[in-house]
Amino acid sequence: MNQASTTKSGIVLQKRGLAFYTKIYFKIIVQDIKSKMSYRADFIISTIGMIATNIAGFIAFLIMFGKFPSINGWSYYEILFLYGFSLISITPTQCLLDNNWSLRRYVYDGDFVKYCFRPINLWFYYISEVFDVKGFSQLFFGIGTLIYAWVKLGLPVTVLMVVELLVALVTASLFMMALQNAAAASCFWIQNSFWLLDISLKMKDYAKYPVTIFNDVFKFIFTFILPVAFMAYYPSLAILRPDEVPVLTWLSPVLGIAAFYGSYKLWMKGASKYDGSGS
Amino acid sequence: MKQLKKYFALTRLGILETIQWRLALFVMVLGNLLYLTLIYFLWKAIFTSAGTDVVNGMTFEMTMVYLVLASSLYGVVELYLVWEIGRNIQNGKIVLDLLRPFKYKQYVFWENSGTLVVNFFVTFIPTFIIVGLMTKGTIPLGWNLVYFFVAFIFSIVINYNIDFIVGTICLYTESIWGINMMRQVIVSLLSGATIPLAFFPDRVASVVKYLPFRAIYDTPLTLLMTKNPDLQTVMSKLGMSLFWVVAISIFSAIFWRISIKQVTVNGG
Repeated sequence: MNQASTTKSGIVLQKRGLAFYTKIYFKIIVQDIKSKMSYRADFIISTIGMIATNIAGFIAFLIMFGKFPSINGWSYYEILFLYGFSLISITPTQCLLDNNWSLRRYVYDGDFVKYCFRPINLWFYYISEVFDVKGFSQLFFGIGTLIYAWVKLGLPVTVLMVVELLVALVTASLFMMALQNAAAASCFWIQNSFWLLDISLKMKDYAKYPVTIFNDVFKFIFTFILPVAFMAYYPSLAILRPDEVPVLTWLSPVLGIAAFYGSYKLWMKGASKYDGSGS
Repeated sequence: MKQLKKYFALTRLGILETIQWRLALFVMVLGNLLYLTLIYFLWKAIFTSAGTDVVNGMTFEMTMVYLVLASSLYGVVELYLVWEIGRNIQNGKIVLDLLRPFKYKQYVFWENSGTLVVNFFVTFIPTFIIVGLMTKGTIPLGWNLVYFFVAFIFSIVINYNIDFIVGTICLYTESIWGINMMRQVIVSLLSGATIPLAFFPDRVASVVKYLPFRAIYDTPLTLLMTKNPDLQTVMSKLGMSLFWVVAISIFSAIFWRISIKQVTVNGG
């Protein structure tokens, strides 16, 4: 009897959840954006920094690949497609999960405890506190690059293709968010988890190369252990090479959800273990 | 002598602090190995597709040695100082540092020199030995080692001064992330850390050649990998680096002196 009612109220809470959480989310991020706008110089410089990063990345790309019509059976524009794709799919991680970068400091200083006393989902509350507006700059770069590559490759624009692209982008984003989330969560167990986060950030740079350049051992590692191949390569195969889509591409949306959920569980497990250090 | 002793005390502290973080060191090495794996396969694919053994005057082996050593040098000289200086400005700790019996610029450098020393022995030396053994002959063992070492000292000074200048800019902007980001991408691209400068198109290369950034990675590495370079080349390369060492040190010192008057610290 007791158990049944708990389950029931649990369900009720979840049903109300989505609308409720969306409303709260926007309330919180509006505050965050307002507070950021009061440091306007910082905001402008950070945005310029972001744009500079993207330009430099692009120049590096041109220097490396511009001279060769194809690498490892991948044409220049196909690699460019992957590049644009990976820029877009990193955006949700950049914009939504930015507060994860501060997690280890909150945990280390003991300030994390303030998040534990709210009647809403802990992960949600922590994440919603920061929204990184400057992350949009790479979204625009990514979209521009992707469209350019799309046109140059002569890919058709059909409803199916666009839907496929969107699914692929969401999938890739889920993998990127999962990796960053898990790396951030490691700070509940180890100190100075900065390096793990740093590695997870670099993975997005690795994602833009087709996984076929690796030998079998590393293909395996970058597919199943560090899911770099899912951050651009497998999802975009459905669009780039529609005739030879591997099983992993079809599975990738499901795997993406699973990976993200797993990282969330890990984060929450770490948070529940947290017993407040510091003063 | 006593002057030097107080600085070396800071170096010693830094060494002790750095070896405390063994796990971080392990993860750092792991991250580095992943990066090296990536660039190995990437450049292999590029060289295979090029169809020739030599691209832009460099063989695959040379490119790898260059990039592997560049990444290990990056691990040595990247001390995240802009963050440190920027944070100290934001939280007010800088006021205490300014009161110390050191010049601030010297203080920050020597405080971090311990990490630099540990990094050099933990990152660069092992990498150098492994790379040297694996690619017998790509790194000649002769006077080039001496030239490299001199260039490397210059590289540390130039890199530190760039960090310090960027850190000083934080006094005005109260922004760290964006400014540090810009520094990082500009330095790693124009210094040859991500792509050897030999691969740059001629037009771009002719400009990059005269900038201070190449003295950080490209100059030491090219000197290290050139067998019996003629003295004139060596001197012109080292001379260029030395010029930048002097120029940038003077500039950063003046810039700091002007800027420190700006300091407005919140709280304390």
